[in-house]
Amino acid sequence: MFSILRINTATCETKTEVFDSTDFLLGGRTLSSRLVSREVPASCDPFGRKNKLFFCNGVLSGTIVSSSDRLSIGGKSPLTGGIKESNAGGIVGVRMAQHGLRCIALEDAPKNDAVWKIVVIGKEQTEFVDGEFLAGKGVYEKSELLSQRFGVKAGCVTIGPTAEKLLYATGLACSDPHGVCSRYAGRGGLGAVMASKKIIALVILNDGEVKPEFKDPDAFKVGTKRIVQLLKENPVSSLFTKYGTAAMVDICQALKVLPTQNFRHGVMEGAEKINAQSMYDTIKERGGEGQTQHACMHPCAIQCSNVYSDKDGKLLCSPVEYETMALMGSNLCLKDLDAIATLNRIANDAGVDTLDVGAAIGVAMEAGLAEFGDTEAAIALMKEVKDVTPLGRILASGCKVAAKVLGVRHAPHVLGQAIPAYEPRGTKGMAMTYLSTPMGADHTFGFTLRDEEEPTSKEGKVALSKKFQVIGSRMDAMGMCNFVRYSVRNDMMPLLDLVRFRYGVDINGEEFDNIVKETLRIEHQFNTDAGITALDYRFSETFYEEAQPETGEVMDITDEESAQARKW
Amino acid sequence: MVSINFKLTDIGRIEVPLEKRKTLATVLQQCAAQAGIELGGIIAIRAGRVLKESDLVEDLDEIDIFPAISGG
Repeated sequence: MFSILRINTATCETKTEVFDSTDFLLGGRTLSSRLVSREVPASCDPFGRKNKLFFCNGVLSGTIVSSSDRLSIGGKSPLTGGIKESNAGGIVGVRMAQHGLRCIALEDAPKNDAVWKIVVIGKEQTEFVDGEFLAGKGVYEKSELLSQRFGVKAGCVTIGPTAEKLLYATGLACSDPHGVCSRYAGRGGLGAVMASKKIIALVILNDGEVKPEFKDPDAFKVGTKRIVQLLKENPVSSLFTKYGTAAMVDICQALKVLPTQNFRHGVMEGAEKINAQSMYDTIKERGGEGQTQHACMHPCAIQCSNVYSDKDGKLLCSPVEYETMALMGSNLCLKDLDAIATLNRIANDAGVDTLDVGAAIGVAMEAGLAEFGDTEAAIALMKEVKDVTPLGRILASGCKVAAKVLGVRHAPHVLGQAIPAYEPRGTKGMAMTYLSTPMGADHTFGFTLRDEEEPTSKEGKVALSKKFQVIGSRMDAMGMCNFVRYSVRNDMMPLLDLVRFRYGVDINGEEFDNIVKETLRIEHQFNTDAGITALDYRFSETFYEEAQPETGEVMDITDEESAQARKW
Repeated sequence: MVSINFKLTDIGRIEVPLEKRKTLATVLQQCAAQAGIELGGIIAIRAGRVLKESDLVEDLDEIDIFPAISGG
């Protein structure tokens, strides 16, 4: 049986319900998207009483399986107007498991004049604590105050000052293993949804006593070792250990899809200054607190995260990932890793999504508010976001809003969510994925790039995107890190065997994929019910009219083709 | 001679003698055998264009090989 703790943020009442269905068994996105679909009216105001926020851990959470404690958070997105699942690493998922929880639901909303509250979940009780002392502070300070009050090992989720103002591009910051709220479920504006319920932090105390039980403990141990072995044997996951996701800079530059100058170009001269090797060498040379490999959760055999240090070897930002290096680096024509890490740190402190705000700053630069390549100006714009100035509020509302306010047509988004770090005219597979995800432009949703024989051609990309939409959704579906897919490749059985050894429930690969496809259907239906139409699944018209200089390509995917890629 | 440059790995550059044109797949197999490595998923690029495994490689070609990974 799996528990959901329902917390009414208006009345402060709580209740626990138990279920034994397959969606509660699997947890992750399988559960969060179903709960949103069942319980949130699609047409509701994302900041109103009817929206809910669901925090779900996964089927293997709380065990010693590598990378199995991903936290999936679902609700209606203020950024896209549709369904949203955003997930993060860290320790919140495992703390939930130690309290016997599969899901925590924040429901209802208090009146506008309500004070900020912290929800504290402990083994004895769930209580609402005054959270006013956190209001207006940056995420790093909030994180420290939460650690002081509730212990460094508590699992915390908090928001930045931008979310407190209900801005659309704000995320949820979750505790890492060191007690710092640096692991972001950044996309879709779910930080603002939590703020709309006047919850400034959710804390799960480190006093849970629930231990995982196993139908076949010996087989589970063997199966766990098998996953680690598969990860270590795979050349791709072992590469992650050395370079992390930053390895994508060189690959995207070579493929001419590195977002550059507000997605006007796919190549940046001098990109090697911000590539994985430069980052690796810089961290190694500086020593101190810097780490080229770092785990965002324990245990993790991949350790793709990093700790980027400043010139004195002090922690500047952790992690710095490829998508941020592209959206806050090449997309702004910045060739300075220190500047990118500084932007990333300020964004984390402000509580915004680095991708959406990176794209918004790109739009602002195109509007003439600053020069591309001007490091100081980029940092000054980011500080406006942190200080929640009028301009900062525009940027923290994401690139679609920023483009409308600032008069820029070339706005890099789909459904209002910024395009991640792959220029779509140069990779029609990724473009097809951007146009077919119910979440707004999302690279993790169906990562085709590595399997595109002709990236600039749209031929065969409906099928390719759909294939990878299933593959990409498998890990989300059970609360595993996306990179574990490199261990199992196309065979889910090593993971599904672990489900059997733990719970005694048999799910074969075909049944599992059917659950994944059903999740996709449910998510698309929610968006349709929310009033999102085929006409919304488009890039800005400039992508169809203006060729990307390096490939000579325009966007040529039709509404009919993208509709096929959304059909399940 | 074909130059195969393995980026972002410790393998580095491998030169493969080539008397006649061969498919990329064949040349890569030769490389893997020569270096004693398992390749895994790769992206091959010649002169800024992606190569398919069935594409023919010729003498003096310079090919960059990237591990096929994804962003976070």
